Amino acid sequence: MATIGHNNLNAKLVLLGDMGAGKSSLVLRFVKGQFLEFQESTIGAAFFSQTLAVNDATVKFEIWDTAGQERYHSLAPMYYRGAAAAIIVYDITSTDSFSRAKKWVQELQKQGNPNMVMAFAGNKCDLEDKRKVTAEDLSTGKMIGNAKESRGLYYLDNGLDFKDQQKTYSGATISNENHSDQILDLNNNEGPPEMPQHNDSYKETQSGFTTIDPT
Amino acid sequence: MSKIEPTSTRFVIEPLSQFDLSTHSRTTTVRSIAITSLSNPTILYVGTNSGTLFSLSADTNDSNTSQNGTVPSDSASFLHKLSFIRSVSVSDSPVDAVLVLADLGKVLLLSDGSLFLVDSELSNRAFRLGFSKGVAVVTRRKMRNNESEGLGFDMNNQNHRFLQKLGGLIVKDGETQSGACVLALAIGRKLVIVELVLGSGKSGKSDKDFNNGSLVVLKEIQCVDGVVSTMVWIDDSIFVGTVNGYSLISCVSGQSSVIFSLPDVSRPPRLKLLHREWRVLLLVDNVGVIVDVQGQPVGGSLVFRHGLQSVGELSFYVVVVSDGKIELYNKKNGVCAQVLPFGGEGIGPCVVASEEDKSGKIVAVATATKVVCYQKLPSVEQIKDLLRKKNYKGAICLVEELESEGEMSKDLLSFIHAQVGFLLLFDLHFEEAVDHFLLSDTMQPSEIFPFIMRDPNRWSLLVPRNRYWGLHPPPAPLEDVVDDGLMTIQRASFLRKAGVETIVDNDLFLNPPNRADLLESAIKNISRYLEASREKKLTQSVSEGVDTLLMYLYRALNRTEDMERLASSTNCCVVEELEHMLEESGHLRTLAFLYASKGMSSKAVSIWRILARNYSSSLWKDPALDNIIQDSGENLISGKAIAAEASKILEESSDQDLILQHLGWIADISQVLAVEVLTSDKREIQLSPDEVVTSIDPQKVEILQRYLQWLIEHQDCFDTQLHTLYALSLAKSAIEAFEFENISENLASGNTERKNLATLRNSIFQTPVRERLQIFLQSSDLYDPEEVLDLIEGSELWLEKAILYRRLGQETLVLQILALKLEDSEAAEQYCAEIGRADAYMQLLEMYLDPQDGKDPMFTAAVRLLHNHGESLDPLQVLEKLSPDMPLQLASETLLRMFRARVHHHRQGQIVHSLSRAVDIDARLSRLDERSRHVQINDESLCDSCNARLGTKLFAMYPDDTVVCYKCYRRQGESVSVSGRNFKEDILIKPGWLVSR
Ligand SMILES: Nc1nc2c(ncn2[C@@H]2O[C@H](COP(=O)(O)OP(=O)(O)O)[C@@H](O)[C@H]2O)c(=O)[nH]1
Ligand SMILES: [Mg+2]
Repeated sequence: MATIGHNNLNAKLVLLGDMGAGKSSLVLRFVKGQFLEFQESTIGAAFFSQTLAVNDATVKFEIWDTAGQERYHSLAPMYYRGAAAAIIVYDITSTDSFSRAKKWVQELQKQGNPNMVMAFAGNKCDLEDKRKVTAEDLSTGKMIGNAKESRGLYYLDNGLDFKDQQKTYSGATISNENHSDQILDLNNNEGPPEMPQHNDSYKETQSGFTTIDPT
Repeated sequence: MSKIEPTSTRFVIEPLSQFDLSTHSRTTTVRSIAITSLSNPTILYVGTNSGTLFSLSADTNDSNTSQNGTVPSDSASFLHKLSFIRSVSVSDSPVDAVLVLADLGKVLLLSDGSLFLVDSELSNRAFRLGFSKGVAVVTRRKMRNNESEGLGFDMNNQNHRFLQKLGGLIVKDGETQSGACVLALAIGRKLVIVELVLGSGKSGKSDKDFNNGSLVVLKEIQCVDGVVSTMVWIDDSIFVGTVNGYSLISCVSGQSSVIFSLPDVSRPPRLKLLHREWRVLLLVDNVGVIVDVQGQPVGGSLVFRHGLQSVGELSFYVVVVSDGKIELYNKKNGVCAQVLPFGGEGIGPCVVASEEDKSGKIVAVATATKVVCYQKLPSVEQIKDLLRKKNYKGAICLVEELESEGEMSKDLLSFIHAQVGFLLLFDLHFEEAVDHFLLSDTMQPSEIFPFIMRDPNRWSLLVPRNRYWGLHPPPAPLEDVVDDGLMTIQRASFLRKAGVETIVDNDLFLNPPNRADLLESAIKNISRYLEASREKKLTQSVSEGVDTLLMYLYRALNRTEDMERLASSTNCCVVEELEHMLEESGHLRTLAFLYASKGMSSKAVSIWRILARNYSSSLWKDPALDNIIQDSGENLISGKAIAAEASKILEESSDQDLILQHLGWIADISQVLAVEVLTSDKREIQLSPDEVVTSIDPQKVEILQRYLQWLIEHQDCFDTQLHTLYALSLAKSAIEAFEFENISENLASGNTERKNLATLRNSIFQTPVRERLQIFLQSSDLYDPEEVLDLIEGSELWLEKAILYRRLGQETLVLQILALKLEDSEAAEQYCAEIGRADAYMQLLEMYLDPQDGKDPMFTAAVRLLHNHGESLDPLQVLEKLSPDMPLQLASETLLRMFRARVHHHRQGQIVHSLSRAVDIDARLSRLDERSRHVQINDESLCDSCNARLGTKLFAMYPDDTVVCYKCYRRQGESVSVSGRNFKEDILIKPGWLVSR
């Protein structure tokens, strides 16, 4: 849960998604700015923390990177319980990972903290030529639950054609549709690990992760 | 994460002692084990499969062999034997669990679903505690002091009482205090909370000798999740594990919440209390999840590479045993720190026991027939071991861990940083070495001295004989360190070729560095250390060593800039140690700075003089055509810089002889600097002006003038001789300048004009000399005007002459010069006004009208004079003075002006007169008004002075409206009223009286 004190926020952030979707790589990129070609598979869960300056507040992310293996599925609730935000990661080259991701959204909507901010992230955008998850998939993805429930769900995937796109940084786009669907580039191979702090549009997306109720 | 990282391989524990069960009993095998260190020596309790319990003493007194830094060996063959103390039979079934109730002097056993109590000495028979049957797990409540209360979320009164009554084993600051013995028993799906009440023995004997006691049921909690097979109870949280998963049950509310469920097919659940962190380890497969008292996960999961059979805790490690190996995993980062085999693979089930204490030092593992005790190596030994293996990173890693856990004193930390630094130094890693030195607060800068200067030297006795852990050779000069280090690398390379492994840094081995680079790096980094040391508080002699040796090092790398910076700042360099060296190596500037900073002014200035001479001679010697302009420019600047340094020293010096001795060459380079030397107010004893004056080069007039000016204007010198000297000097210069200007004007050629400009520019004064002369002649009255007059008599310095004549009171001469020579009628009139007599004007008029020497009369000036001052001139006299040759037109104008001026003057007087009259009349009117004021008097009216009734008596009123009877009026007089106001002194003005015109 995000807690506030002296402009310092503590936010618990959990990463969920199929094994190999790139959760650990994403976190590693965010926290240490590294990318490993052969990222070892996570067992149990890994813990990281990273502090970010957003406007004049600092947000300390407590990040739980869970294992994607089905075997450890039952451990996940322990990690997403009380989380302020969840990033559900899928691999755009794998429809399996996409359906797994949809299941995570459903589970979170059913069991998770109702105020949790969810981000739906399509990873490995550098493999665009092998893309299997299409815009249509994603629009059916949006049909998950009823409209009300899908509020606060952020879509992060670039390369897909959305209307009303706004260019932000290095290929990232933000769609204005409903003001809640955001599409971010999540390519681990390039781009700055920490997006430039002076970029206002970035701050906007960042604050999205920490907002308790985005509606 | 699954491989051991080299930096994390440590020797945390070493085998201590062992026990072979087969020597005691051929039939039974070990089932459970517990360890307690509350008693001394540490005692191990071992439960067997045949239902007996025996105790072993892990006496550590005579096992100090490995404390002396020998590398722990993996073989357990030389181990001491654990001594068998006693055994007691418990039941016919295996002893499943042993719980040491050290505070009660009892041991609780679980066997065949029943609980048994036995005294810790095992001196009596085990007592079966009634009631219990079908108990699968038993655990004792542990509480960290003062923390249980805050946790009671919605406690009602009843619960609160229950909780208070409940009590538990209180663990405070790592020490176990006695409290009630509250246990949780898992019986099927049910948790029963009971209190163990010890029975009292017969009179005279203490409880200890009797094993009877009873269990009082406090509460029962239904556990929906399944059959409980493992349990931990801390504070208000009971953690239970079933085949389905882990739950957290509040002992206060009885409510249960799932922490997580286990995968469908998995090993049975297992829990372990981590005393040190006050957290609980939950196992799933070979993964350990650590949660806090509330069941929230903390930190990443631990992954036990080889699975596990049993789990314990030691310091910041989780200890797991599996397959005849004991492994230590760091709780924080999950890194496997040590693996030790204690029996071959396939050895069968093993169990591990650790002390239930934050600061436990011993763990024990047991196979079916063998018990091995391990002790934690003191941190220092672990660190030494890593250092011996040249695993400096690992050592520092461990040190940092220990520090963050608060287990390392600041001094030890400093000691280790210094030790690591020395090791790195001898391994030729100078930068890292110094980085570590700088992290050490206790290291003395003098420890570095022997690396810079060969023994014996001035500081040899200062060097502390600190050998640290004796892991590095004694200090030696850096050259030797480098040579020896290179030799070691060479030898290692031979050995390696011969197939012998050595512990030499691979990096150095693969790219052998060259000697010069190494030496440079060594000197650079040691300099860095000394530089940092300068900031510290040091004794005088150490400071001297630091600064002197720092200079040595700078010189070794020819870092002239740094040398000069050090020498010119406040420093503790020992001059005798450096003098010779600096002279030899030609670092004269540094030496000069050094002399200066040590107050050895004369030596310093002499060096500057030599340097100045060298510069100027090199200027002459090097006539390379192209460079000459540039060069000379440079040299000139350098020469000036040199002179500036010297003059800086002299400005502060009071040594007159020294100053005058060096004044000459400084003046040759820069007159400004010479002046600064002479006019400095930084010296304590002022120079004697006479001596200065005589020693100034007569050619350098401006220096003299500047000096005298300073004496007179800033030092308030009243010496008439000096004033006169100054005036004469200025006058002389003024005459010269005047003549020079005249010549160049006469020649009027471009060439000389330029030269003129050049000389003007070269002057150190901003204002022209005449101006200075005039100002001085006017402002000072201490010089001798006649002497000056004598000098300038024949010159054209007329204004100066006028000033001097005025000083001498020669009015006529002054007027003549002003009016006729300089034709400055304004100044002349001004002078007349100064004189203040009418005849002065007349005299001036006379001069205008008859300038003599064949000059034409200056009618315009005369007319001007009459216009301005005509009223003060007697017209008759004026008429007399008017020359007969004066043109009528001019004369009439002159007279007209004069008359007009007089008429004008007269009229002005009339106007003033009339105005005064008007004011007078106004005042009278007001007076009349005031006097004719009416005053109303009635019967009640009293005299303001005597308070008598006025009635019909005569009375008077003052301007301030006070009324008095006539008598009082006579007494007081007209001008002082009753209020005491005196109207003559304190005039009263009423608004109506003011003259408004
Ligand atoms: N091409 C590409 N590969 C990625 C990207 N992100 C992760 N990977 C690779 O995908 C594999 C699985 O990543 P990992 O982070 O372990 O996934 P996790 O199981 O979700 O934690 C690793 O080999 C990564 O190198 C990406 O953006 N592009
Ligand atoms: Mg992962």
